Amino acid sequence: MSTNADQMTAAARSESAPTADHKFPEPIVSRLPSWPYAVFSVWRRHAIVYSRTWLINFLPPVTEPIFYLLAFGYGLSPMVGEFVVGGQKMSYLKFIGPAMIAVGVCFQGFFESAYGSFIRLRFQRTWHGLLTGPLGFREIFLGDLFWAATKGMIAGVVTGLVVLMLGQISFMGLLFTLPFIVLGSFMFASIGMMTAGFVKNIDQINVPVFLFMIPMFTFSGTFFPRDNLPPILAFIASWLPLAQLVDLIRLPVVYDPTWPMDLAGLIVWTVVTSIIAYRVIFRQVFK
Amino acid sequence: MLTATDLWKTYNGTDVVRGVTCHVGAGEILGFLGPNGAGKTTTVGMMYGGVLPTRGEVRFGELRLPQQGREARASMGIVTQEDNLDPDFSVYYNLVVFANHYGFSRDQARHRADELIERLGLKEHRDHKPDDLSGGLKRRLVLARALLNRPRLVFLDEPTTGLDPDSRQGFWKLVSELRDEGCGLILTTHYMDEAQRLSDRLILMQQGKLVDEGTPAELIQRVIGGEVVECEGIDEAILREISDRTGAWLRPFGQGWLMSIDPAHRQETLTRLESTPGSVITPRPSNLEDVFLRLTGDQL
Repeated sequence: MSTNADQMTAAARSESAPTADHKFPEPIVSRLPSWPYAVFSVWRRHAIVYSRTWLINFLPPVTEPIFYLLAFGYGLSPMVGEFVVGGQKMSYLKFIGPAMIAVGVCFQGFFESAYGSFIRLRFQRTWHGLLTGPLGFREIFLGDLFWAATKGMIAGVVTGLVVLMLGQISFMGLLFTLPFIVLGSFMFASIGMMTAGFVKNIDQINVPVFLFMIPMFTFSGTFFPRDNLPPILAFIASWLPLAQLVDLIRLPVVYDPTWPMDLAGLIVWTVVTSIIAYRVIFRQVFK
Repeated sequence: MLTATDLWKTYNGTDVVRGVTCHVGAGEILGFLGPNGAGKTTTVGMMYGGVLPTRGEVRFGELRLPQQGREARASMGIVTQEDNLDPDFSVYYNLVVFANHYGFSRDQARHRADELIERLGLKEHRDHKPDDLSGGLKRRLVLARALLNRPRLVFLDEPTTGLDPDSRQGFWKLVSELRDEGCGLILTTHYMDEAQRLSDRLILMQQGKLVDEGTPAELIQRVIGGEVVECEGIDEAILREISDRTGAWLRPFGQGWLMSIDPAHRQETLTRLESTPGSVITPRPSNLEDVFLRLTGDQL
């Protein structure tokens, strides 16, 4: 087998050998890295940029769900008192804790990919720069997607640790939610990348933010049970991706027997939006 | 080394590249000369896999593009027209981080980055961010990035557009050095002097088509001959009469006319032109701009 490979390389060399007395420059690394490594190197590039500006980039977005948690949790609890959800009595803080983990995942995953990928595509032209190296579109796309998902996971886990410190979720409960945090991060990263692929300028990102993200943030069973809504609104809200993620992350606190449906919904949203994102951005880069 | 066969590119029903075929070998600079919008950048983009051809084939050694673009680009260096550098990284880190994509080890990346910084005269700017660099230095940094893995083939898409004369000279020197090291180079430009000075072989493009091909000297000799004369203040009828008689070629040029000079009728032509009252004539060696004007009726 190795002889065969050697012959092929020799054939390749002689085929492209210079006829004059020129000598090719010898590459420093002659073995092309595997494609997963290429995805990793794109991801690492984004991570290095982030690590240089992390104080500005990290603190504000991560604090957002924590502020909601503290403000609404402590602010509204005395007025709401204890209430029953899914046959279980609980405090308001306990109710919104898991939801804020999901909100952290949602906002960070979405905003990093919608704005971050858009800027890298249109302003900094990072994608085009990367395409001059030994990277293909697939590797760059996945590197961006994994990076946005990573930021979603960071926000989810940090918020989760705050909820844990406040005693509103158990350590095992938090561990149990990790796979959902990961999946949810990929889902919102895909939705964000789809947005980055569709919008023509950065202001247009406001459209999905105000018509999709903000309503979803409020209607998804984040601050109150969706059953409180009129039935039609509750039905529509239950199909929102954040609603499905909130229900799944809330499982350690409120058991919901329809969780397999939520999980299936999350997977469908992730697969469909990532395929659409891949196609629109591909068309944009190679138009 | 790289062969492109019958490349076509259509955008929204318009053919911007129409059947370009070319080849570049090791230690050779292939120039693409043409006015803005001739399809040079699109053609070159198809050769490295940055633009998908509507039709046609590109082979780089045994590799096919764009299918094996990643493999091919591992031994290509690409300097695009735009400076898509990482604004958050210094000159040094732009190189080190990009080297990761080729699979360099940490030491290899650092060593190579410093080597290229030294070679491209970026030493004083090692820790500066791209936004703090002049246009010429940015172009050098993009070239340094393209040279990280010692490529066999380097693409330079309008590398000196917007640079001052000093920076252009510096860039040309680097390009010649690369060729001498055995690198193949593909250069697009709309500067006649750049094309003439650097290219071993030249492709003239207009409206997406290859108009003519050859060494700069060959093209000039074949299309124009050795000498032309710029004429002002002479009636068109007189010029037509001379050109018809001597078989010279005549085109409007700036305020006046440009006429080729047939060596056999040189003295006669010049005497006739000089004797015309009010004439201002400037004989000069012909250049690529004249070739272009003759072939396309367009100035560069």
